Amino acid sequence: MNNYCFAGARAYVGSRFQEPADFWVQKGKWVKGPLPDAHRVEAQGCWILPGLSALLVDFQEPIRDDVYTLHDGFEAMHRGGFYSALYESAANPLDDIQKLKAIRDACGKSGLEFHFLGALSVDHAGKSLSEMLELASGGVVGFGDGDRFPTSLRFIRLALEYAGMTGLRCFFQPLETSLMGKGCVHEGHYADAFGIRGIPSQAETIAVHQILELAGWLKVPVHLKQITCRESLSLLRLARDRGIDVTCDVSVNHLLFDDSSLEALDTNMHLRPPLRTAEDRTALWNALSDGTIQAISCAHVPVLPQDKETHFEDAQPGAVSLEIALAALLPEARQRLCGGEEALLTLLVDGPSRVLGLPPRTLAEDQNIPFLLYDPRVERKVQIQDFCGQVHNSPLLGAKIQGKVLGDFFDGSWRPTAQ
Amino acid sequence: MSFLKIRHLLGLRGVCKEDLRLILDTAKQFREILDRPVKKVPSLRGVTVVNLFFENSTRTRISFELAEKRLSADSVNFTSSASSLSKGESLLDTLKNIEAMKIDLVVVRHKGTGVPGFLAAHSDAIIVNAGDGANEHPTQSLLDIFTMEQKFGSMEGRTVTIVGDVRYSRVARSNAWALSTLGAKVRFCGPATLLPRNRDFFEAEGVEFVPDVHDAVSGADAVIALRLQKERQEDSLLPTLREYRNFFGLTPEVLSQAKPGVLIMHPGPINRGVEIDSSVADGSNSVILDQVTNGVAVRMAALYLLSGGHADE
Repeated sequence: MNNYCFAGARAYVGSRFQEPADFWVQKGKWVKGPLPDAHRVEAQGCWILPGLSALLVDFQEPIRDDVYTLHDGFEAMHRGGFYSALYESAANPLDDIQKLKAIRDACGKSGLEFHFLGALSVDHAGKSLSEMLELASGGVVGFGDGDRFPTSLRFIRLALEYAGMTGLRCFFQPLETSLMGKGCVHEGHYADAFGIRGIPSQAETIAVHQILELAGWLKVPVHLKQITCRESLSLLRLARDRGIDVTCDVSVNHLLFDDSSLEALDTNMHLRPPLRTAEDRTALWNALSDGTIQAISCAHVPVLPQDKETHFEDAQPGAVSLEIALAALLPEARQRLCGGEEALLTLLVDGPSRVLGLPPRTLAEDQNIPFLLYDPRVERKVQIQDFCGQVHNSPLLGAKIQGKVLGDFFDGSWRPTAQ
Repeated sequence: MSFLKIRHLLGLRGVCKEDLRLILDTAKQFREILDRPVKKVPSLRGVTVVNLFFENSTRTRISFELAEKRLSADSVNFTSSASSLSKGESLLDTLKNIEAMKIDLVVVRHKGTGVPGFLAAHSDAIIVNAGDGANEHPTQSLLDIFTMEQKFGSMEGRTVTIVGDVRYSRVARSNAWALSTLGAKVRFCGPATLLPRNRDFFEAEGVEFVPDVHDAVSGADAVIALRLQKERQEDSLLPTLREYRNFFGLTPEVLSQAKPGVLIMHPGPINRGVEIDSSVADGSNSVILDQVTNGVAVRMAALYLLSGGHADE
């Protein structure tokens, strides 16, 4: 049966929820009802959402398929309601056209929509430029060096100049390497309390300042990944006032946690960049509200259990979040984000498109757009089984979250989510 | 009778149209001499020229030497590795010592920008720049223009595209200044990392920056491919020679966008398969070897006129 009626659902269309109504689907497309032979799904209180869009995912295959595979990543996206993603591989830098073709072909088999960031430098080493012109002609939508911040300002300048020929945006994780050193938490109260080496906010703000100065000078659009502190936000606002084309994102975990969460020294809280202060977290939510930050990044970094089952400083940084991002953010967004859940959905549906200058994604009648049925009322505890593959490195393990993907329409077929 | 207004040939920036014309028109006469069975004239008999080459050079040095010999000048050659400079002598002391040997004219090539000007300021000899740093290479530009004028008659209204390592090219700079003075339009094309950064300065002189090589050659009357130094890749200015060739190399595919009779030029030496494909370098539109021949005539004209020679009007 190809026709469905999701009775009483609220469709999210063009950044707004519509009033509850029957949502009719014929061969995977939203159509005007009624349809006489439609299968009826009771969906009162549920949402019909366009597929969410994930910023910056890396499923590590083929270099680290011992940790995570593309299939794990596709499944994680499906569970979390994500149907498109901006892929940037840190494990396997896309620094030549053959690697790009290989990963694009592999991801293409999923039926999901993927965009790719090419590497700025060979092996993300910040020494030799990658073949950016060829990568651009191969379809990358921007360039970046993963989580590595080039140590040479001269190299950043040259990379921006070269990338500038393509008109594409350059992505940077602003963490000045020498100030970061071997730090692993925010250099503040908790770093001192536990005697753990810290990473000062200045490691970020100095890098932000460097990138913004170069971007403004060379007139190249840039994106700053995973902003964590309020001083960076001030720099971003000033830069925009100067006409610099800069976008930025904040990660799910930096919206949900601050360094007070380090009390238990849970190694899943070991993140890079580190969790900052409660004041910083408030500033990040406010920056989402006022548009200073354009998107929320999933920063989905799979880490094997054995690499987390050690002492805090020794643990490998990173967290997975695709499977639970929306449910984890919803309660906080209702409290902290201007526009509440609608604004949050806009960020998760359209954020990456805004960064990449792609057309907005919205539900529309007679359009073949993947969409999902989401129940925002389901309260559940995050469990290991919620995560895909062999990893479950989430700081939310054991926490209560609200909401669940009940199923989706994808490739014209209804796929209920496994319970 | 016409004489040059300039005393030295340090560069072409700021050189007036009349002086450029005088050298180019005089070169025509010397070019004819080069086709005679006896290619020698006594124009510079008794004049002593020293060729001071502080940088490696094959064609420019030989071209100057030949020009001097064709003019019957007495010429001596100097290479820095075999000189007192390698023993720590200053540049100025070297010059003063050479000058003390009653030299009339100095042809100098040096990696340092401004060295010819420095020598001109401290010497009574006439200085001819044979290439200083990335600044100027005036005789190369003059021979380029001479070669183009052989086909076009005049450069007025013509479009010349210069492709490649413009930022570090003395040939590109000299051509930009002289071609603009003569009424031609100049286009620069190359990777952003190899183009001048302060474009306003060149744009004020009428130079146009065209990022795509297909657009850059479209409608051009002549295309000059610049030699790509392989060190540019080591300096992180380029990803690979392969990408350079694919996006900025002069290939038959790129030149299919150009006018049918477009002139293909190169100052040499050529990296075949990098900045220019062999089929283009050796093709029917190529005047690369004509440039070499014309170089002798142009240098003869420059040396003759700078030594006080004149052209009959």
